[in-house]
Amino acid sequence: MSDGRASESRVIEELLAFIGADGADEDAFNRMALAVFAHQFEHNQPYRRFAVQRGRTARTVKSWRDVPAVPISAFKELTLTCRPPEACERVFMTSGTTQGVRGKSHHPTMAVWDRSMTLNFRRRFMQDRERLRMGILFPTEEAMPNSSLARYLALAMRTFGAEGSRNFLGDGGLDIAAVTEDLARAEQAGEPYSLLGASYSFVHLMDALDGRRFALPEGSRILDTGGFKGQSREMEADAFYDQLSATFGVPRRSCINMYGMTELSSQFYDDGNEACPSVKSGPHWIRSRVVNPLTGEEVPKGTVGVLVHHDLAHFNCASAILTEDAGIAVEGGFRLLGRADGADAKGCSLAVEEFLKAARV
Amino acid sequence: MEREVAGYLPGLPADQVDWRTLTFARGNEALEVAVPVLTDAQVAALAARVRDAARRTLKTRMVADIAATIDRAVARLLDRDDPWRRKAERLLPLVTGYDAEMVRLGLTGYLKTFRRPELQKFLVEDFANPSILDDFQPMPKGGFAKAFGPELLLHVWAGNVPGLPLWSLISGLLVKAGTVGKVPTAEPLFAGWFAQILAEVDPDLADCLAIVWWKGGDEAQELIWLAQADTVVAYGGNDALAAIRGRVPITTRFLPYGHKISFGMVARAALDAGKASMVANRAAYDVVRYDQQGCYSPQLFFVERGGRVSPREFAGYLASELAAYETRFPRRALSMAEAGSVASWRNVEEMKSFAQPTRTLLGDPAGAWSVAYADAPEGLSPCGLNRTVTVVAVDRLEDAVPGLAPHRAFLQTVGVAASPEELHRLAGLLGAVGVTRICALGRMTAPEAGWHHDGRFNLLDLVTLTEIEQSAEQAADAFARYVD
Repeated sequence: MSDGRASESRVIEELLAFIGADGADEDAFNRMALAVFAHQFEHNQPYRRFAVQRGRTARTVKSWRDVPAVPISAFKELTLTCRPPEACERVFMTSGTTQGVRGKSHHPTMAVWDRSMTLNFRRRFMQDRERLRMGILFPTEEAMPNSSLARYLALAMRTFGAEGSRNFLGDGGLDIAAVTEDLARAEQAGEPYSLLGASYSFVHLMDALDGRRFALPEGSRILDTGGFKGQSREMEADAFYDQLSATFGVPRRSCINMYGMTELSSQFYDDGNEACPSVKSGPHWIRSRVVNPLTGEEVPKGTVGVLVHHDLAHFNCASAILTEDAGIAVEGGFRLLGRADGADAKGCSLAVEEFLKAARV
Repeated sequence: MEREVAGYLPGLPADQVDWRTLTFARGNEALEVAVPVLTDAQVAALAARVRDAARRTLKTRMVADIAATIDRAVARLLDRDDPWRRKAERLLPLVTGYDAEMVRLGLTGYLKTFRRPELQKFLVEDFANPSILDDFQPMPKGGFAKAFGPELLLHVWAGNVPGLPLWSLISGLLVKAGTVGKVPTAEPLFAGWFAQILAEVDPDLADCLAIVWWKGGDEAQELIWLAQADTVVAYGGNDALAAIRGRVPITTRFLPYGHKISFGMVARAALDAGKASMVANRAAYDVVRYDQQGCYSPQLFFVERGGRVSPREFAGYLASELAAYETRFPRRALSMAEAGSVASWRNVEEMKSFAQPTRTLLGDPAGAWSVAYADAPEGLSPCGLNRTVTVVAVDRLEDAVPGLAPHRAFLQTVGVAASPEELHRLAGLLGAVGVTRICALGRMTAPEAGWHHDGRFNLLDLVTLTEIEQSAEQAADAFARYVD
């Protein structure tokens, strides 16, 4: 395994530099992608088997577009890691399970993940500010050590949170009294404030506030992520952002949605949600394609397909993943259209989604 | 672009109704379907009209007479030269995307189960003496009874299997219920056509039924209609049904039909070299018919070890039959969501086959069918639909049964290929875990006339009995003019 470690150190070093650069053109991205693929092909055995079965090897893959994308279900069935799991610093697990099995992403070091998150978060969420007081509608990293979202929010607070930033979700659930107090304080102090958390936590908060409204000062922001996942009532995106905006006095253009996955090491953001669905985009170390899920071929621009993400920061597992999210490529990014599953089933035949839902109850 | 109007709204002039357009396309052909969007006042007027007309005419007709009317309407649809039939053959493939020949064959087979003799069977399945729908009949316990259908029966249909609404619509007519049916957006035409044909062949019944539309989940429209009905029959997923149930007044009878999972069982007796390929052909037919959209469509096959043909070989047979059917009845074009479901299922199967080398996935990702093979039972799980199916090897067929038990609420049809003794033994085990229909492979998607949908009584569930107890008769004697 000494080879593996040497290869890994080299990839990490190159990646940190790559991520830290101002940008990357097609050639630069391609070079880095091929180096990461070579590392994964060499040291991640299940991924290698998958690639070979798709007729792709380190020798035949010449472009990042040819790197075989593993379906996200693979993270549930296979241990996709270059470094042995027991030697990894951190493992993130998906919240959703299939018959009790969670998808896992192993991280030998958090250095790349952290660098990816902070650089991108600074640009897309913080914009011109160094620090911002944050209210986090999600449990702490200690409470959920396997949650990539808990890590994300903890890192955001640690790196960019102004004094007084804190989590409002603990063992006792959402601390409504404390959020209310903090919001009222920000309102009075005239100091920009930010609320960050799972989309469903915002629904819980708004329901608990029962019509009470705040007018957060100019420059305040909201970040929601992950959708409702059956944890709260479902809301249409427009209704959700209208209500967020009305409840907290934050214009929809300052309500930012983050799109991330346990199976990635980088996140996508929109530039606010004045119109839905918003255009999402990622930093220069991640590229996305829209494909036909069955053939894997790119669909013509402007037509709906399933998203494939190629995240170079996800160097230890598999950088190219085939999601189950429907999307459409547009200028400057893609529009996310929700899950591409049988939720709109046409017949009366029981589909997987409903079956799993029943099995969870 | 061709335009067709959906629905049937007696007494409401088309120009006073607001219409919305649904667009359907298949290849180069496209069709616009206008669906009605009714105001609260129109809903109330329509409900009152149907209720009154049913009270005046339908309720006074003999059930045999109603069956004869239905028979005449069905005959029109069975006649391939009839304009209605021609329209159905032309437009239903366009709307649903199913192969035209499959729709044609499916329609004929299905409609045949509603001819007069079949309707008579249908009636006696639920009523030992169907005259109980016409008049008070003597009862074995003494006294008399008459069965009354609801004054206003509301059907909330779902799904894109052509003609499916006919089941409950005809059931309602047979019990003399004023009928309002809400057509599904996925196939909004057939029920309205049937209503128009009925009105043509029997103008007296023209006002006894209406076919309407609202967007699935439209709470406001649903609430108004639900408040009008005496009985509600609804089809759909459990979430949709739960939402409807929450809006049905407590005094209204609610009959939900949820999504189901069905499967096949192949015993080793059916697995000799000669029989196995025929069995695989029939199994494949059940998969191909309506691309597994029906609750009765098989999603997996349990295949017994120990026959001449192994379960793994049977999976191969099934794959070749599916490939052959693709030429004859091509799969309809899938939406991106449907393709996503198929892809997700295939991906999971493929990943499992990496982890467990005994598992296999047959079929090309870009092809129109897939067969997964699992070497051991691992609990029941739906497939990706649209011609994706799992073959599960078992030492003995009954080994599959314990894995079914937790899913009782979802089980429906089992297609069985086994010896007579085994058939009956398995039937006992399957019935005990909640299976309600056992049939031959090749017949899974064509329930016989008079079947009990999800094990329930299609007609009996709709009626209430009014009983004259013996005491009333005896007491009446005391008040007769001729009393001694």
